[in-house]
Amino acid sequence: MKASRARLFKEYKEVQREKTADPDIQLVCDDSNIFKWTALIKGPSETPYEGGVFQLAFAVPEQYPLQPPQVRFLTKIFHPNVHFKTGEICLDILKNAWSPAWTLQSVCRAIIALMAHPEPDSPLNCDSGNLLRSGDMRGFQSMARMYTRLAAMPKKG
Amino acid sequence: MQNQDGAVADREKESAVSIPISEVDDWANFADDDIMQQQSAIHAEEAKKIPFVGDKEPLSMLAAEYESGSPILLEKIKVLDQQYAAIRRTRGDGNCFFRSFMFSYLEHILESQDRAEVDRIKGNVEECRKTLQSLGHTDFTFEDFFSLFLEQLECVLQGNEDSISQDELILRSRDQSISDYGEWFGWLVVMFFRFVTSGEIRKRSEFFEPFILGLTNATVEQFCKSSVEPMGEESDHVHITALSDALGVPIRVVYLDRSSCDIGGVSVNHHDFLPTSGDKSNAKGGGTVPVKPFITLLYRPGHYDILYPK
Repeated sequence: MKASRARLFKEYKEVQREKTADPDIQLVCDDSNIFKWTALIKGPSETPYEGGVFQLAFAVPEQYPLQPPQVRFLTKIFHPNVHFKTGEICLDILKNAWSPAWTLQSVCRAIIALMAHPEPDSPLNCDSGNLLRSGDMRGFQSMARMYTRLAAMPKKG
Repeated sequence: MQNQDGAVADREKESAVSIPISEVDDWANFADDDIMQQQSAIHAEEAKKIPFVGDKEPLSMLAAEYESGSPILLEKIKVLDQQYAAIRRTRGDGNCFFRSFMFSYLEHILESQDRAEVDRIKGNVEECRKTLQSLGHTDFTFEDFFSLFLEQLECVLQGNEDSISQDELILRSRDQSISDYGEWFGWLVVMFFRFVTSGEIRKRSEFFEPFILGLTNATVEQFCKSSVEPMGEESDHVHITALSDALGVPIRVVYLDRSSCDIGGVSVNHHDFLPTSGDKSNAKGGGTVPVKPFITLLYRPGHYDILYPK
């Protein structure tokens, strides 16, 4: 659809123009396909994801922006609302609460907010959700931090 | 995503294409995407029953629906039959209020050729644009929807190169037009109204806050994000008030429900949403001009259709 391509192109220009506006998000469009994007987001501070850099993959449908992009984590992450194997994200704005008022950039911001504020009552990762629901903050944080170190931090030496 | 290498992508690809029954049995594979697919399949099924915007029907067709139902409703339909010539149904997909408003408004302009009204509403649309900008929306997130609506205003005025007939308006509203917008026309215009409504509510959040608190526990911002901007979220009096105010278009809503409050004889309640002028100090009284609404909607609990006065 022409409209989705035009819209994505505007988003692309906006991203180029505001490259430094949000240092926590680096959104990149595939060289050959404007419907494929990847993003690098920084784990929010004071969370077990701090210091990690997480890669997201976007697949934008032809009906965009009437329909939401599909987004998943490519980097392994231990979080109640992210599927541990597939990286699928449980977030209302990516499903029924989507509206064209969102952009790929603001979706990244929403995902960072989700990392800082997990919703353990609608878990995709039940182990992670159960730790939080049972109040085992220490258990949750150490697991989440371990996976951040293993998967989201550059290897040293 | 589906073109990525690896087993995960392959599995996704399979589930995204269709939902074989055997996979539904396996709940481990039943991901959110499948649920969304299933929902849209159900919607597609519904779509076959009623088009986005139906044909004009006499009110006797409405009465036929309640033949074996509540006598109060049948009495009320008789009363309606004296004042209204026809009903035009819209699909109950959560967008019925906005779609009814869209069709009714554009049809009114097409029939009245009221250029003064078109000029007036264009001014309001420009105000709405400024409102969204001042609320921090990036232009490209809403500008396409705005320009589409403005184009339609030109189309329903006759004598332009791209003037359209009522038949074409109906086709567009049913997303069956072969024009550029094709199957997305209705969605795009509904989205325009959702942006306008959301902007007005947030601009006058102090005014709308108590009404929103009466409906949900949400803040004004949350309400707009969850109940106004997303497609398919149903409209309430908050939405109607905001849209009417923002565009300066009065709307009459006629209520067809089982309530029978009047002593001696059944009457049908209606409520006129009369736009207040943009100045929020006029939000309560003072700013309203007594005008007769040219848009009349029939409300039955959970749904809006279009009514045509005699």
